[in-house]
Amino acid sequence: MTTTVAKLVDTSLCIGCKACELACQEWNDQEFTLGTFDGTYQTLPDLEHNFWNLIKFNEFERDGQMSWLMAKYQCMHCADPGCLRACPAPGAIIQRPNGIVDFVHDNCIGCGYCITGCPFDVPRLSPKTKKVYKCSLCSDRTSVGMAPACIKTCPTNCLTFGARDELLRKADSRAEQLRGNGDQDAGVYNPEGVGGTNVIYVLRDAKNPESYGLPKDPGIPWTLSLWKGPVKWLGSMVFLGGILGAFLHFVRYGPKDHGDEHE
Amino acid sequence: MSMNKQISRFDLTERAIHWMSAISFVYAALTGLALWSHKLYWLASVFGGGPTVRGMHPWGGVLFAVSLGFMFRRWARVMQLDSDDKVWMKNSHLYAMHRDQELPETGRFNAGQKMMFWMQSAFAVLLFASGLVLWFPEIAPRSARLLAVLVHPLAAIGSIGGIILHIYMGTAVVPGALRAMTRGTVSQGWAASHHPKWFRELSKH
Repeated sequence: MTTTVAKLVDTSLCIGCKACELACQEWNDQEFTLGTFDGTYQTLPDLEHNFWNLIKFNEFERDGQMSWLMAKYQCMHCADPGCLRACPAPGAIIQRPNGIVDFVHDNCIGCGYCITGCPFDVPRLSPKTKKVYKCSLCSDRTSVGMAPACIKTCPTNCLTFGARDELLRKADSRAEQLRGNGDQDAGVYNPEGVGGTNVIYVLRDAKNPESYGLPKDPGIPWTLSLWKGPVKWLGSMVFLGGILGAFLHFVRYGPKDHGDEHE
Repeated sequence: MSMNKQISRFDLTERAIHWMSAISFVYAALTGLALWSHKLYWLASVFGGGPTVRGMHPWGGVLFAVSLGFMFRRWARVMQLDSDDKVWMKNSHLYAMHRDQELPETGRFNAGQKMMFWMQSAFAVLLFASGLVLWFPEIAPRSARLLAVLVHPLAAIGSIGGIILHIYMGTAVVPGALRAMTRGTVSQGWAASHHPKWFRELSKH
């Protein structure tokens, strides 16, 4: 059995150097386009089709001092990916045996349903290629035993890559350590609503993941589950039932009298 | 009076509008079904591949909406339901069993046709509104998109279900109806038998 891999983000060790952003751009050969400067330290306001890894510099005040809650934002590689559920093109979104959720651009038709299905608002449509892009967890590197580019370059060990089970244990013990150091609300972010994620966070304030820019309780949207479940059955019933019903009606009753046969 | 004499039922404009809506509907329905289920994705290959289908399906919908707009302008008044139609609808099972003579006499359109018109109009509005949202996912807010992914297939199911009935009626159940949509004419006997009130109106003039 293939080991499920994961990325651990220990936000308490992030210094906001953005080396991971640059490594991601370099390795994935992205053309950088200048975005809006909004007066913060953040590189861009949000993820882009050619910018898959963003350190969010969430500002907050503590004892009258401005401070940052820095969190790396990218595809979470969910165990139950909303993007994959929503995708109408077979083979355009795949879940690799090691847990990586990958977009296969040859099969992508650019409908953007994955953008709607994603509970983390990660995939981005390129206006040029009309296809959707996001972090691949460097599946081209991990498939040959190398760590993803962002992890390789991280100078503080804020980012680690490895077997998911091991990293979950590591995250738990790190959270415990942080609680011992006085961060009472420190904990692990591995949301259950999407079956857990292959990008795991250690947060100093795990009770408020929103303050890091992470959704509190992400899950598969109920309209998506209805659409891909009962609505599909209803459709099959109406289409096949309609054709069968028409056929049976014709066999039983046949056509109406032709008016010309009157009188 | 010979009952085989042909009279006009749909003029050229009405037929043109009808076929414009029929062709755009079938195109939008088949390309839509391609994206509806992985099992029907082979339909995408028939219509030029996934990206082409994604690009063109919305335009099929726009064409359908435009033709339905024409249709609405042309027929909205004659499709108004009257008290006879309500009696007809209540006893529509008699029509299905070909016991038409037990139902109130029908004018240019019977109550079933009128209901088809109003239902398809309502579904078309839902399809167009939700389709617009799904067309531009990068602009539409997520809450609207999450609603649209439910409304669009539901309205499509109703609409396609109605069209299955419509095509079955028009081609198999009522001989002569198809000719009314291709050549525009029906025999006087046909008119007197299926739409007596309409036929009497015509004969008056």
